Amino acid sequence: MDEHNTPSTDDRHSKSLALLCSVFAIATCGLIYELLAGTIASYMLGDSVTQFSTIIGVYLFSMGLGSYLSRYFHKDLIAVFIQIEILVGLIGGLSSLVLFMAFAELDAFRVVLYSWVALTGILVGLEIPLVLRILKDQFPFSDLISKVLSLDYLGGLAASLLFPLWLVPQVGLMQSSFVFGVLNVLVAVWTCHLFRAQHRRPILTVQAYAVLALLLTGVAFSEVLLDFSERRLYQDPVIFARSSRYQRIVATQAQGEMRLFLNGDLQFSSLDEYRYHEALVHPGLASVASPQQVLVLGGGDGMVVREILKDQRVQHVTLVDLDPTMTDLFTDHRVFAALNNYALRSPRVEVVNADAFVWLEDSTSRYDFIVIDFPDPSNYSLGKLYTTTFYRRLAAHLAPDGVAAIQSSSPLMARRAFWCIVETVRMAGFDATPYHVAVPSFGEWGYVLASHEPFQMPERFPENLRFLNQLITPALFTFPTDMEAVPVEVNRLNNQILVRYQKEDWGQFAP
Amino acid sequence: MTAIRHLTRRDLLRLSPSVAAALAVGCRSRTGRFVDREIDTGRIAGSIVGASHEVGHRLRAGGLPEPQEIRDVPVVIVGAGIAGLSAGWKLAKSGFRDFEILELETDAGGNSRWGANEVSAYPWGAHYLPVPSSESTAVRELLEEMGMVHDLGPDGDPIYDPRHLCHAPQERLFIDGRWQEGISARELLGTAPAPGDQAMLAEFEQQVRRYQDYRDARGRRAFALPMALSSDDPDLVALDRISMLEYFDRAGWTSERLRWYVDYCCRDDYGCSLETTSAWAAWHYFCSRDEEVEYLTWPEGNGRIVRHIVERLERHLHSGMLVYRIRLTADPGTSETSTEGVDVDVLDTRTNSSVRIRARQVIYALPRFTATHVLAGYELPGIDAFSYAPWMVANLTVDRLPEGAAWDNVIYDSLSLGYVVATHQNLRVAPGPSVLTYYMPLAVPNPEVARRWMLERSWDDWVSIILGDLAPAHVGLESLVTQIDVMLWGHAMIRPVPGFLWGEPRRRAAEAFGPVRFAHSDMSGISLFEEAQYRGVRAAEDLMRDVGHAYRSSLGLAEEGV
Ligand SMILES: Cc1cc2nc3c(=O)[nH]c(=O)nc-3n(C[C@H](O)[C@H](O)[C@H](O)COP(=O)(O)OP(=O)(O)OC[C@H]3O[C@@H](n4cnc5c(N)ncnc54)[C@H](O)[C@@H]3O)c2cc1C
Repeated sequence: MDEHNTPSTDDRHSKSLALLCSVFAIATCGLIYELLAGTIASYMLGDSVTQFSTIIGVYLFSMGLGSYLSRYFHKDLIAVFIQIEILVGLIGGLSSLVLFMAFAELDAFRVVLYSWVALTGILVGLEIPLVLRILKDQFPFSDLISKVLSLDYLGGLAASLLFPLWLVPQVGLMQSSFVFGVLNVLVAVWTCHLFRAQHRRPILTVQAYAVLALLLTGVAFSEVLLDFSERRLYQDPVIFARSSRYQRIVATQAQGEMRLFLNGDLQFSSLDEYRYHEALVHPGLASVASPQQVLVLGGGDGMVVREILKDQRVQHVTLVDLDPTMTDLFTDHRVFAALNNYALRSPRVEVVNADAFVWLEDSTSRYDFIVIDFPDPSNYSLGKLYTTTFYRRLAAHLAPDGVAAIQSSSPLMARRAFWCIVETVRMAGFDATPYHVAVPSFGEWGYVLASHEPFQMPERFPENLRFLNQLITPALFTFPTDMEAVPVEVNRLNNQILVRYQKEDWGQFAP
Repeated sequence: MTAIRHLTRRDLLRLSPSVAAALAVGCRSRTGRFVDREIDTGRIAGSIVGASHEVGHRLRAGGLPEPQEIRDVPVVIVGAGIAGLSAGWKLAKSGFRDFEILELETDAGGNSRWGANEVSAYPWGAHYLPVPSSESTAVRELLEEMGMVHDLGPDGDPIYDPRHLCHAPQERLFIDGRWQEGISARELLGTAPAPGDQAMLAEFEQQVRRYQDYRDARGRRAFALPMALSSDDPDLVALDRISMLEYFDRAGWTSERLRWYVDYCCRDDYGCSLETTSAWAAWHYFCSRDEEVEYLTWPEGNGRIVRHIVERLERHLHSGMLVYRIRLTADPGTSETSTEGVDVDVLDTRTNSSVRIRARQVIYALPRFTATHVLAGYELPGIDAFSYAPWMVANLTVDRLPEGAAWDNVIYDSLSLGYVVATHQNLRVAPGPSVLTYYMPLAVPNPEVARRWMLERSWDDWVSIILGDLAPAHVGLESLVTQIDVMLWGHAMIRPVPGFLWGEPRRRAAEAFGPVRFAHSDMSGISLFEEAQYRGVRAAEDLMRDVGHAYRSSLGLAEEGV
């Protein structure tokens, strides 16, 4: 070590210190990128153990690759270091945005994911060997190694504490990656500045500022780019958002639970949707003697169809849903389609994108079993789908011994709305059989079976159900006192009383 | 860029000599509430369409080509509005085949005409029909024939197909800077009652119920539909001598909002304001139907009824035919049956050549003011008492329905009546484009001046007036509008001004002129589908009775009316 106290040694010394500091920053950033990728992958693909293991594996291996490749750099190591910092800042900073976009737009999410992780890993892997080589003349080797590695591991600790305690809850995944990208680039800018006397590097400086500007723009516009602007309205991280012609589709994910929202209303939680869908489909379906032709109105998420396909007697299912964006998503997108067990790809299923009421008016087919899974009657447009006129039209499409199952809001939270649907179904000439089930994420939920003949309790259900069995089913058809029938008016096109019931009843429970 | 203008009542009144009287009405525009501003109307297409004013001018100017050929047609119906079409409908239904209907416009329907574009069908005039009361037997018969009756209720009353009964939400009102559901007096006064409002409303409603329940010694309603079946008790008839404004003043009903509401109803049904509507006519509006009346409506409005009848009369109907002269060929002073007949001179507006039709009977289903120019030798003392309100109707095509739109959307304190939504009865759930039919009656004391003013406005003027009126209640509406077509109805509706309904000229208007019988809503003095149909069916039945053709009356118990 050079012990002479000349200005130049002093200067070199402070540069060395600065470089050591940047080791800390670099290490923190590197681990943050890795954690981000792992977290996003487990949001998107579930099964966090697998996601984190594979990502850590790929990342570490790539770092090794980077370290190996460092041997090919000989000249002007400072410049190479600055260049790499800028690149890590760019790649790492954009990582969340790229991964979210990849999830929404491509089916090749995994390819993008692992390529991105590998790229980041290689670049990060280059950093430490380069720093070691730059500083090798400033410190004795043992001192250098101990300094660099301890700072590296300290950075790791900082990252692993910051990430769960501050970044995920406060800053959010997207902004975190930008913030750390910015940090990386600042290291590059600082290095440029320190070594400006020896090396003037206008190109690198310009590059650094350009990337900085890009990342800062990203901070401001990434939500717009991803269409995630209402992210804060959701309790869990948003992993997907898209506006179709008809509605806003948002998916959130936390701890392996995916929730789907349409226009902000919860459609299902992947944890308990089986309760809702089994209860909607099987009591009615199993009671039909020969359910060959089945119609589903609404339910573009394909969950109802998944349940129906469990019954081998069903030959053909027609799914009529307004929104092609929904049915496409749940047919083609691997993550969403997996939720319905790829039901919409079955050769037994035909998907029609049409407005249900209009479609019913025009169609002449008859069905043995019909499921109606419309959104709740919270406005006048949707309210039309719960009127005597609609149910009369439905009657014309139901085989004489067929059954229609109708999702009917909550008999507990919207008691009048529920019984209004029951009465409206009766008024349309049906035998109406109400029942209910507890779905934790919705609360107590109600359904009505509409049939021309009195409903017969089914004797057997398909094998692979998680909720329904013969024992429990009859109990669903009895109503506790606080959900018993109340006097209500019938819902007609010209009064739409149901919309009022629905609003007022739910209003009582609103915070 | 167009400067939108908020046309005020005062602007309109400047056109009219009796400014002072009209200003007494409690519904002056609050000028200054809306700021005039510039908006971008660049992408809005459209034009002034329809109603052949030029042809009307030609009629008055004379000098039309003389007939080149002569045809014989036993019965000619002149005019294919609801009255003329209904006459044809009744004849055809009774197996009477030898008649022709001559209509000036390319499309039949008159004030109930309709149009269509790629978004929707829409009305150009009449847009709804209240569910008929038991007196309106012919209306019931027609609706049943149209397949509108779904079922029969326990009391044998028809139950109408809910698809065609106006869906909820039916009406909304923009008042105090926001939209509220419903426009009835009760809903209106419920929001911000001034002192005394509630008491006046209670009195008003009590009077409505009293008149609704009234039956005279012969069992007739105070106000019936058709109006010819109303009671002629002197107390009731006396109502026709004063205006509704006077009635309000006498009753001490000073409530501004109640006045606005009744004024709105008068403008809506008669194109007349509170001060120009006879109190009899105004009460007729509120009391001729049972409570809680429902409306039948279709995208094309009453055009749906026109379509139905026209389909059945296709081979009888000749459009593009200007009837410019009708002359009796024998002295009408002698007994009716002995007249030779009638010459009907018609200009085919497409070929610009004329034909003379020799008819034995004519049903004259044009507004009566035309008789002065068309019907040679016809004299009706006091024919000038037939005066007509001008209306402007516009159809606005929009990319997206305004948020929260009801079927009928009314703006408090506006000169217009607001708009109805043509796609309202649509069963679609998905939001989509629509057509809004915007109505503006020029309800001022002097319709002549208003008519001239109206015909002088350019399309740009109308666009700025319409958007200026709607803008305060619809932020950014102009960016949704792609097309505005405007129809100017010079003589849209007969005006039931005080004294007209129970006066001599109207009563005598029902009398036949030799073999020429009359049929038009203006003979009732109130312009309503039920009246037009009644007059048409009645003329057809009288004609068949006179020529000895057997028929079953559609007018049921209808007694001799006036
Ligand atoms: C804007 C508007 C809105 C309305 N809304 C409603 C409503 O919602 N509900 C309702 O019940 N009523 C409504 N009305 C009243 C409407 O006038 C009546 O319902 C009905 O259509 C009147 O029919 P009509 O046959 O008596 O008269 P018109 O419709 O006046 O029929 C006269 C016909 O004669 C034709 N004609 C005129 N001159 C000649 C000629 N020289 N030769 C040949 N043909 C000629 C005309 O073109 C026309 O077709 C509305 C009217 C207007 C103007």
